[in-house]
Amino acid sequence: MADPNNTVLPSPPFDTISCIKYSPTDPDKLLVSSWDTSVRFYHAGEPNSKPSEQLAKFEHRAAILTCCFSDSSHGFSGGLDATIRHLEIGTEKMVTVGSHTDAVSGMVYSDESNALVSGSWDCSLRLWDPRASTPQQSVTTTPERVYCLDMTNHNIVVAMASRLFNIYDIRNMATPAQQRESSLKYMTRSLACMSDGQGYATASVEGRIAVEYFDPSPTAQAKKYAFKCHRHTMDDVDQVYPVNALAFHPVYNTFASAGSDATVSIWDHVVKKRLRQYPKFGNPVGALAFNCDGTRLAVGVGYNWDLGEKGMHEKPGTEICIRRLGDEVKPKNWSG
Amino acid sequence: MAKKKNKNVIRPWCWYCEREFEDEKVLMQHQKAKHFKCNMCPRRLNTAGGLAVHIQQVHKLEPENLPRIENALPMRDGYEIEIFGMEGIPAPDIADYKRRKEIELGLSAGSISAPQPKRPKVENKPIPEEELRNLLEQHKKLMGGSADAASSSSQAVYGAAPQSYMQPPMPAPGMPPPGFPMMPPPGMPPFPGFPGAPPPGLFPFPPPPGGMPPPGMLPPGMSPPPGGMPPPPGMMPPPGMMPPGGFPPPGGMMPPPGLSPVNMPPSGPPPRPVPSFVPAVTAQGGAQPPSESFVASGSEQSSQPMRPTLPHPSKIQSNPEGEEGNGSDPNFSVEEKRAYHPKYFVPRPLPPSDSAGPRGTKRARAEDFL
Repeated sequence: MADPNNTVLPSPPFDTISCIKYSPTDPDKLLVSSWDTSVRFYHAGEPNSKPSEQLAKFEHRAAILTCCFSDSSHGFSGGLDATIRHLEIGTEKMVTVGSHTDAVSGMVYSDESNALVSGSWDCSLRLWDPRASTPQQSVTTTPERVYCLDMTNHNIVVAMASRLFNIYDIRNMATPAQQRESSLKYMTRSLACMSDGQGYATASVEGRIAVEYFDPSPTAQAKKYAFKCHRHTMDDVDQVYPVNALAFHPVYNTFASAGSDATVSIWDHVVKKRLRQYPKFGNPVGALAFNCDGTRLAVGVGYNWDLGEKGMHEKPGTEICIRRLGDEVKPKNWSG
Repeated sequence: MAKKKNKNVIRPWCWYCEREFEDEKVLMQHQKAKHFKCNMCPRRLNTAGGLAVHIQQVHKLEPENLPRIENALPMRDGYEIEIFGMEGIPAPDIADYKRRKEIELGLSAGSISAPQPKRPKVENKPIPEEELRNLLEQHKKLMGGSADAASSSSQAVYGAAPQSYMQPPMPAPGMPPPGFPMMPPPGMPPFPGFPGAPPPGLFPFPPPPGGMPPPGMLPPGMSPPPGGMPPPPGMMPPPGMMPPGGFPPPGGMMPPPGLSPVNMPPSGPPPRPVPSFVPAVTAQGGAQPPSESFVASGSEQSSQPMRPTLPHPSKIQSNPEGEEGNGSDPNFSVEEKRAYHPKYFVPRPLPPSDSAGPRGTKRARAEDFL
């Protein structure tokens, strides 16, 4: 590979990558879920030290849409078969925890509450504790199908169909702390919470990102804004692409966005500037993740069904690129 | 059948390429195959407008980048005019074509009559009482004495709501007295000996909940629904009532000879099994016993629902008008649509709906996955 900052992981999934999550403690370990029904666990190393390799693989009976770590050696998966499974990475053992009634579309693990929060197209959020005798701790009905969810501190942000957003406090799942409508006019495609816990960014299928804050006071709400991105002008026609993934840097609180235009950009949402746009990848980018110390960005590249089945055969191939990050992810006026 | 050799009657012709056809059905097939075929996928559409919408929504081409209509004469390869068979042809073009035909055939001006009127659609008419009675006769003769037993046993199997007129109360041959007590009012085609046949209005392709999605939302391979697909007048059992595993229906359920295949248009797409509990519930008012719902869920596994449905139709979204956008579907994510592709589809309980009926079923189904 020409770019020395880019490495490609061996034995990638055969189909679209749905989700990438880095280990909470190990900066070189990641879980990758895919439409090929697998969840894979990789070590992402340097060519001259311990090389990258796939360390574990979990085969499921249906496409997997989401996964996450609970600790460095355990994770969860969920997908089209509506089932939540607990993954034991060392032994490659899977245990069924429970199930939704429709596909599981997103999940996060809360260390604080020792609970997994999962969201599904069945219009519900569920809390799970795999060690309990009845793992399902609670069910919260949401007003629409859950598309994405993310958590910071105890705030769970849930992006749903019909451009709805609910913010829950994990300590009180019964009622949403806040209910919002998207400030973007098109369907919500991705969501990520800020590392400093102040707010979140969301993006739509129509090349636009909105930055929002939790604080309901008018001064904080006045700071929210949205901007266009992931667009290209071709022959005087503005091509607009979906923004498939967002991720906040764990240290600098800048964020990365990935689009179906096959690009990844780094943004400083405080000064409202783009810090970097990486060279185009070979295919649309569908998943992003920063590692725990913020030195790597994992990028899931591959066709993601924007054009239905037909586009699948046009440019096949999925890959996971690990990008070594430099100062481009640091805000210009960073003082530490 | 002899060809119509009447020179003075103009035969159906295709506006796009000026080819003549035996009848309008063939013409429509031709148009679908030659002119309204998407060159990016195997889809064939019924009209130019349908093709344009398909290309824009499914293949995400801007309206100005639409390919011209294939195999068309110059100046006739645009999308502006909606042609469907012989319908929609601009009057000047008809007149022009007629004149040229007249010259070609050496006839005097004005001697050619107007294009044939559309053939009446026999399939859609309610069957007259007389004919029905005859059919019942035939059917009874065919089934012999077993008709009784079969229909009663089938009633048990299908658990349909009791409908007294369905059960032939007397021995088979030579029965119908004048007046025919079991005959429902004309205009409502019943099916003798077919218990539990839902009312014709619901039959057999009920509209999916949440309305018909635009063509772009249909997964590839699924033809556009109804339109050119006249529902057979109450002769085919709804898919949900088919026993699972491809068992032949019991004797009493056989449609009388000469009735069943006729109802399917020869070129029409095969009946697409719909999520079966939808018709089952609507058709029978939720009065089905557990055995019925078991059948329904069983057949749902073999036949798959072809598209996602809105759990809350009231929250349906539309993209803002007058903005560039990128033609994306405002109601279903790409993942939701992808989940219905045969490659990925797994049967799963549908999202909770307000209809109370299948609740228990759903729970049971969810446990299947454990």
